[in-house]
Amino acid sequence: MTSSVRRAAERGRVLAAAAALAGAVAALAGAVAVFSVDAHEPDAAAAPLMDFVPPPAGSYPLHAIMRAPDGAVLDLDGRRQPLRHFTSGKITLLGFMYASCSDPHGCPLAYQVFHTVRHRVATRPELRDRVRLVSLSFDPARDTPRAMRSYMAGVAPAAVEWAFLTTESPRRLVPLLDGFGQDVRVEADGGGRPLGPLAHVLKVFLIDARGTVREIYTTSYLYPEVILNDIQTLHLQSATQRTMR
Amino acid sequence: MRTHSLGRIFVGAVIAALALAALVPSPAGADETCNSPYMANLIKGQEDYLYVWALGVKGVGDGADKLVTIDVNPASKSYGKVIHKLSVGGGRGEAHHMGFTDDRRFLWAGGLDNSRISIFDVGGDPARPKLVKSITDMAAKTGYVGPHTFYAMPGRMLVQGLSNAKDGGGVTGMALYSNKGELVATYPMPTTDGGDGYGYDIAIHPQKNVMLTSSFTGKKNYMRALGDLVKDAEAMKRFGNTMAIWDLKAMKPKKVLSVPGAPLEIRWSLKDGDTWAITATALTSKLWLVKPDAAGEWQAKEVAVIGDPAKIPLPVDISINKDGTGLWVNTFMDGKTRYFDLSNPEQPKQIYERATGKQVNMISQSWDGTRVYIASSLLANWDKGGADDEQFIRGFRWDGKELSPTFEVDFNKEKLGRAHHMKFGSKTMKAAYDLERTSRR
Repeated sequence: MTSSVRRAAERGRVLAAAAALAGAVAALAGAVAVFSVDAHEPDAAAAPLMDFVPPPAGSYPLHAIMRAPDGAVLDLDGRRQPLRHFTSGKITLLGFMYASCSDPHGCPLAYQVFHTVRHRVATRPELRDRVRLVSLSFDPARDTPRAMRSYMAGVAPAAVEWAFLTTESPRRLVPLLDGFGQDVRVEADGGGRPLGPLAHVLKVFLIDARGTVREIYTTSYLYPEVILNDIQTLHLQSATQRTMR
Repeated sequence: MRTHSLGRIFVGAVIAALALAALVPSPAGADETCNSPYMANLIKGQEDYLYVWALGVKGVGDGADKLVTIDVNPASKSYGKVIHKLSVGGGRGEAHHMGFTDDRRFLWAGGLDNSRISIFDVGGDPARPKLVKSITDMAAKTGYVGPHTFYAMPGRMLVQGLSNAKDGGGVTGMALYSNKGELVATYPMPTTDGGDGYGYDIAIHPQKNVMLTSSFTGKKNYMRALGDLVKDAEAMKRFGNTMAIWDLKAMKPKKVLSVPGAPLEIRWSLKDGDTWAITATALTSKLWLVKPDAAGEWQAKEVAVIGDPAKIPLPVDISINKDGTGLWVNTFMDGKTRYFDLSNPEQPKQIYERATGKQVNMISQSWDGTRVYIASSLLANWDKGGADDEQFIRGFRWDGKELSPTFEVDFNKEKLGRAHHMKFGSKTMKAAYDLERTSRR
């Protein structure tokens, strides 16, 4: 087999694999879970069981884990902006998502938890102007600013900021994933060819007003009560610092 | 140039397609049975690789600790063979335990003597781990030495020390690192309200907001020849006799439980809804159950005897099955592997035993329980001498009645050192955006 024929054959296999994956995409896209944006509490079936009373806000430290990374993102108008504009100045809850995610323990759960947190923060005058939610897409190819605008159209207006962001390309996205330590994996066959769906650890990052990650939540510990206590803890800490100045 | 461009297009297409397909976290209920509950990307079905953290032996090769990769997929041509080995250099550091980060991409491994933490990338090419970082300042920065348990937390790694830099005794603590290897915080083991300050293992029950810790001994003891140590009555008093219940969120000890005789590995029942854990005491050869009483107060109680405690069989590792109904126990001195029926965790009953080596230490099992792996080495200065100093990894098949040997790697013969801790690997795991990174090179 000549090298050009070999390359053509490889491209053929590649395209066949891509076509198969696209088919899987279409099938899954049709199975996207429907969840109500009006519900203020997470779906009990998907939410992790919480069998404890969390310690009171302010009674425990939230250590500085790492600086939140910076890089170019796109807002809903397609304007390129530094991510730091969305990770500093307020206490920020940031999670990666993509609009067509269907796993009830993944993005939809995070979405519902965000919704619950937002609703509860909105009832707290001392917090609502100091807290921001950020949903940043994993999927720059499909989650364009226009698509993200459609996605967030179902989000009810509230007093608490919720930014929906995407990136121009994987090249812009990868440094952010690396910086946050947010993995994305694909299962491969013995020859290293991608086999099927991607997998990722659902992570939600709590970032203080100075842009430092102070807590990371995953599916096993994604409780609105705990998140609210942590937000309150950061708020109390920053209030104390303001008093001491 | 054209080929490169097509490659980039393909990579972009695959990434886009796969990203849309579903970013589905792997389901719980897979992989090895002793992983952190925060770990994702679990292996579903047959594991391909067994990573073995092996102690270097002076005069054997470069004498340094090594990460050895064994092919354990029966369908593979190299089944039961060493396919990769990676020395971390610097002589013997007393390689001991390992743990994956929560995303399963990196494997952290510790040296009990040199307190070095080696971080291997096992996500890029699972068959050929790469050493990507070494943490060498744990003692200087934390005061703790002997990094033992590596327990994945979201975006972080909690490391249990066994000892301290000041006097080499058993009073120690835990160090919390970011997944990038930066120190985040330290937590001393409790020394009040019954606490002895000792540490060994960590196990978390997220839904109860509980972290459970156990206790062993300090560096002056674990680096001493076992024959000398057991004759030193004063030194033998310096072993842990406690477990501690912690408020996980606050990372504060709530209660110290009396569990005499060095309680070591801790295993929570993996059955949904269960809230009990089990451990084995090395010196007193007992199984202890930890669970809340009717009032919700955490209690520990002895529930079974392992072998003949008078002979000090030294239970050194346990492995619980997927639904909390069975427990493997390895006893080092008599080289036996025992199976306990845990259907009633209040009354475990031994239903099987067989000698699996002249000395045996760690034991791991697949999620379905059919594949069992056993390693030989306990500690460099506690392993037996002469012909009894077998060093191996042995694979077994468990059919519910009998352990049948499947393969063996002789670590002495292959000059790999002393085989200690084992973790599973899979070729099906690969970091997706590595495709994008690769395309940009």
